[in-house]
Amino acid sequence: MEFHDNYPEYEKMSNHDETYGKKARRTLWNVFWIMLAITVVELIIGFMAPSKGWSGTLGLKVLFIGLTLVKAAAIVLWFMHLGHEVKFFKYVVLLPYAIFMIYAVFILLTEGTYSGVKENYTRTKQIPIEDQLAHKKANGGEQHGSSESHEEAHH
Amino acid sequence: MSHSAEIDTKDSWGGGQSPFRISYGKMMMWFFLISDALTFGGLLTAYGFARHKYADQWPKAEEVFTHFPFVEQHLPLAYVGLMTFILIMSSVTMVLAVEAGHRMDKRGVTVWMFWTIVGGATFVGSQAWEWYHFIHGTDVGSLRDVFDRETGTYVRQVVHGANMTVNEYGNYDVPQFANFFFFITGFHGTHVFSGVVINFIIFMNVLKGTYEKRGHYEMVEKVGLYWHFVDLVWVFVFTFFYLL
Repeated sequence: MEFHDNYPEYEKMSNHDETYGKKARRTLWNVFWIMLAITVVELIIGFMAPSKGWSGTLGLKVLFIGLTLVKAAAIVLWFMHLGHEVKFFKYVVLLPYAIFMIYAVFILLTEGTYSGVKENYTRTKQIPIEDQLAHKKANGGEQHGSSESHEEAHH
Repeated sequence: MSHSAEIDTKDSWGGGQSPFRISYGKMMMWFFLISDALTFGGLLTAYGFARHKYADQWPKAEEVFTHFPFVEQHLPLAYVGLMTFILIMSSVTMVLAVEAGHRMDKRGVTVWMFWTIVGGATFVGSQAWEWYHFIHGTDVGSLRDVFDRETGTYVRQVVHGANMTVNEYGNYDVPQFANFFFFITGFHGTHVFSGVVINFIIFMNVLKGTYEKRGHYEMVEKVGLYWHFVDLVWVFVFTFFYLL
């Protein structure tokens, strides 16, 4: 059978005129403003988190990861144009990756809770937190958050 | 123009045409990006492991990354916010270059690719600055018991900044913090750097009119895919290293 897969034809097919281009550009800029807004919101929340005691809470983690996935989807679907490719190609790109990453995250969440030996296998060892804070205080170091993590260490 | 509707039928698998309706080069770029994304996914998963294990000792990003150029006071996360803005912005200029390419607008492609390269180079420079301050550390430093190989004992000393064995960040010593920071942001920075180089080569070809003659700007679209991928990875690095 004859095979008519002449690749420049596909490329010329995706060429478009100015009217379509105008619409496409408006969409792209809208995607950009949404992504920028999400990033600014993330930074504000990240900035406020220590004083409000949100640091390290599950809700904050879920929120940040959720917002990140929204941004990632915006990049892949609009900027990388995957949203406009044919259905089969979307599956070919997204499915293998999704399967591997869901598996990796599953392993991370189940096996990651294994605590085992808590030592660092490195050439340092832990210093008591009291000594650490005393050093910072004696040298005029900033105390932001240190006392807070001190509390956490004891609970 | 979207031409996916008429092709999503059983006939598209009957032979004689590509069922994916995409050129060979773009498809191969996608496959490369999937493999690259798996590498980054694996690295970030490993980072998640280490971070989970040392959850109570892990340094807080807003206490580590507080510097901003020409500003004395501490501005947590402000600089990395700016870097993120620059990279997202350069992603937008890239996609506008691709769009201009679809209209065979050589001037548009030239202008937008130029700004993409500027944004990318600025980002790499910012990362170098960030690394410098991360390695250099603060004047106060932190107390650490560092193992001395000569005597076989731990020697208490003040550590400034970070290297692969010890770092001053956080109240406890978690070397993995600096290790993962260096490796993952370094690997990403290498991608940005190579992206800038590739963008520059394609930019020169645009100037020479190579793609004008060819009748399509597929090459711009291909490097565009790579460039967006770099931005995509940064979105995740930004979340996992700086926000969480």
